[in-house]
Amino acid sequence: MSLLIANSLTKTYNNSGWFRKHSPAGKGVKDLSFVLEQGACLGILGESGAGKSTLGKIVLGLLPPDSGNITFNGIDLYQSDRKARKQWRRDIQVVFQDSYSAMNPRMSIRDIIAEPLRNYERLSALEEQKKVAELLETMGLSPQEMTKRPKQMSGGQLQRVNIARAIALKPKLIVLDEPVSSLDMVIQKQILIHLKQLKEQSGISYLFISHDSMAVHYLADQIAFMKNGEFVQLAGGSYHAHDLLG
Amino acid sequence: MQPKLIVSLTLVMLIVVSGLLAPWLAPHDPNLVDLSHKLQSPSFSYPLGTDQLGRCLFSRILYGTRVSLSLAMVIVLASLGVGLVIGCLSGYAGGWVDHLFMRASDAVLAFPSLILAIALIAVWGAGWKQMAIALVIILAVYYVRFVRGLVHSIKTETYILAAKVSGTSPYRMMVRHIIPNIVPPLLVVVTLEVGWVIMDISALSFVGLGVQAPTAEWGAMINDGKSFIRSHPRLMIAPGVLIFIMVALLNLISDSFSESKGFGSPLRRKLKPRVTEH
Ligand SMILES: Nc1ncnc2c1ncn2[C@@H]1O[C@H](COP(=O)(O)OP(=O)(O)OP(=O)(O)O)[C@@H](O)[C@H]1O
Ligand SMILES: [Mg+2]
Repeated sequence: MSLLIANSLTKTYNNSGWFRKHSPAGKGVKDLSFVLEQGACLGILGESGAGKSTLGKIVLGLLPPDSGNITFNGIDLYQSDRKARKQWRRDIQVVFQDSYSAMNPRMSIRDIIAEPLRNYERLSALEEQKKVAELLETMGLSPQEMTKRPKQMSGGQLQRVNIARAIALKPKLIVLDEPVSSLDMVIQKQILIHLKQLKEQSGISYLFISHDSMAVHYLADQIAFMKNGEFVQLAGGSYHAHDLLG
Repeated sequence: MQPKLIVSLTLVMLIVVSGLLAPWLAPHDPNLVDLSHKLQSPSFSYPLGTDQLGRCLFSRILYGTRVSLSLAMVIVLASLGVGLVIGCLSGYAGGWVDHLFMRASDAVLAFPSLILAIALIAVWGAGWKQMAIALVIILAVYYVRFVRGLVHSIKTETYILAAKVSGTSPYRMMVRHIIPNIVPPLLVVVTLEVGWVIMDISALSFVGLGVQAPTAEWGAMINDGKSFIRSHPRLMIAPGVLIFIMVALLNLISDSFSESKGFGSPLRRKLKPRVTEH
């Protein structure tokens, strides 16, 4: 069974208030269908406003689609009961583009990384500390960073912290919504290499959203191009994709 | 900390402590009528002189401080509590719950708050309890609106989405992410509000709707002294000056809170307008 199956997902943002009942053609996503296998990476490539983040939010269970459905391990994300939801929530994690705003500025790095652990696992303070230190080390950061606040770290370091939080629960799928777009080239590369290693070692799947075709080609096994909320062409492998971009 | 904050906090503490220690600091019983000593000028045994019934003005002001400040604190805290709970629920849940509370509060907000307080007291009868309840109800509505606005703007932050994806429950979301981030702007408003409430209490007591004679309270004391405004203006000036100082100090504190680090957030610009209009 495939890990994630999306079936003609459609979501239109309803900007009409009481006084703007009939706004022109709404923005969002239209009729998106795709399949993502365990251990694979689907790249979503498209320009700004194409609807990539909207798709990401639907996959994360944060934004109910107007029509269509999406199943994860055979469970419909938007029809599931409390218990099932608690399970798939654990298996689908996220890394957002803006590393700083993805963290509560009042919390320490330790608290940030430990949040998913506290929600799902009963760890003693010592176990938790060990686990957080491990995660930081996996991401190439020193465990000493634990006591810092987000403000005291660089964008690249913060994005590593975000990834550490995303992998803390050993999820099956991570939605990467432009995880490296706001970083400089050298750091981008380091983080992409890291993500690739993670995927190869743990068999995690990615939905990798980006507008940078180089990055997508590096990480993705399969690429979908998005324009105005629709998939324009589904290309298997980087060769085709390259052709399509001209 | 800024010097402004330290100085004004110290002065407020001084006033609060002297109110608390009134029974020990006051040279006389504040309600002891002694017509043989009426309308005396300040002297060693009567630091601010006496009023038309021979009561020690200084002692009355000390005791009045207790009444005014504790009433103001209780009223603000109670309405803040209600506002926080309903505001968080309404702002976070959204949907029909939100709609319900907002329409209900619209109805209350259509009236100037002091007029509404007077109307409520007119129905329930004059007295400090009725006044306190009326003010709590009205203020709570304002706090609901304010808290809801803050929650609303925080709830779409990326870190809230990230926490949700991490499996954080709505309750934890409130306690760990939302409330800590609305406390600073709330503190700015609450300090200011205590000042406003002191004025409300005084105003209502001045017109005889709030604290009743013979209890000493700043507004009620101004009312007591108003017949002697020409011959013995100090009867009104003394409590009046104290109200002025207290409100000014609270404004200063609120100001320095809003200027200090940690309060500097995109939320700050929302604080500029007063929460309640008087
Ligand atoms: N909450 C919202 N309400 C209304 N319209 C929205 C909302 N979020 C996004 N949109 C609109 O939907 C369209 C798609 O937005 P989306 O964020 O999915 O694009 P994107 O491909 O992620 O772009 P970017 O590369 O800039 O992140 C845009 O035109 C945007 O203006
Ligand atoms: Mg986006």
